[in-house]
Amino acid sequence: MVLWKDLIRGLWAENPTFRLNIGLCPVLAVTTSAINGVSMGVATTFVLVCSSALISLLKRIIPDKVRIPAYIIVIATFVTIVDLVMHAYLPDLHSVLGLFIPLIVVNCIVLGRAEAFAAKNSVVRSAVDGLGMGLGFTWALTLLGSIREILGAGSFFGHALVAEGTTTLGIMSLPPGAFITLGILMAVMNMVSARQKRKVS
Amino acid sequence: MNESLRMVVVLAVIAMVSAGILSVVYGTTSVIIEENAARALESSVYDVLPQATKVDIIRRSADELGVDDPKEMREQEQRTTLIYQGINDQDQVIGYAFVGEANGYGGVVRILVGVDEATDEILNIKVLAHTETPGLGSRIEDESFRSRFVGKTVEDPIAVNQDIDNLSGATISARAVADAVRQGFVDTAAVYRGGE
Repeated sequence: MVLWKDLIRGLWAENPTFRLNIGLCPVLAVTTSAINGVSMGVATTFVLVCSSALISLLKRIIPDKVRIPAYIIVIATFVTIVDLVMHAYLPDLHSVLGLFIPLIVVNCIVLGRAEAFAAKNSVVRSAVDGLGMGLGFTWALTLLGSIREILGAGSFFGHALVAEGTTTLGIMSLPPGAFITLGILMAVMNMVSARQKRKVS
Repeated sequence: MNESLRMVVVLAVIAMVSAGILSVVYGTTSVIIEENAARALESSVYDVLPQATKVDIIRRSADELGVDDPKEMREQEQRTTLIYQGINDQDQVIGYAFVGEANGYGGVVRILVGVDEATDEILNIKVLAHTETPGLGSRIEDESFRSRFVGKTVEDPIAVNQDIDNLSGATISARAVADAVRQGFVDTAAVYRGGE
């Protein structure tokens, strides 16, 4: 039951993108298409699960004063593995996301969960928390990427939805489109949550 | 154990384990990464030399160029050692291709240029990599812009606003392509023709 709560917390109540508003740089930068969003989310999830589990395992060994550098080394190692493996086996995807993969190291979700959760909880709970946060991040990125791809490029996961030559909302593919979409989605999330709260009370 | 000693040891051990793991991963992936890059470049050669059915890679060392200065030698080597020779199904050399680079608006622009063996005219160019502004500078990838280079020889100026029409709103990107083509063409033609 505890594990279930750990998992779903990241999906809605403490969704890193819409609720905690952390790690927004990759959210805004890579979500020009749905597949980019999914891929970035999966890569971040992998790093989150692995680093949370390992940091939780090492929490008694790592002295408190050097915990941040130790966490960063662990996180950077997993990020580099993702970067190299993706470059070798998914070169097309890597050419799109390549610039942002190394930036997972400084994504505050990863270090944030290490500090706030993994350093205090068991290995299994930390891994599940990482998975939940990662999946929350992934669905947020996928939703954002889908909306921007449909409106900006007229396609969904690379499949064209409109006839070639149709004018699309080009701004949605550019950075302002990311801010506009994220703002509207956050407003919708807040509205839904406010309704739920009112129902309860 | 003394506390500060413990900090040093723990951090050093973590860093060493991490370095060990990464060197193994790097060792296995770097081979595949290089193969992928070489294959991607080779398949691009067929795009700029449409009649080629086979591609040979020619390497020319800096010695052959008669360059003595080590710094210049290194630069020359980086720029011109790799020439892709296109061969048709009758085993005739139909042209050669080379990579040119220049700085654009958002970073380095890499171009692959295919040249006809008989006429020394550019057959086609292809943008391999760029980080120009989407919608503006990225139009250097369009056929309508790339076709402006077709038919040019090494004698032509190959410069924006001279013999290449500009891209409105993307002068720097267009100029980078022209620079990359011209610079690579001059270097490669000298090596390719000089080495025969």
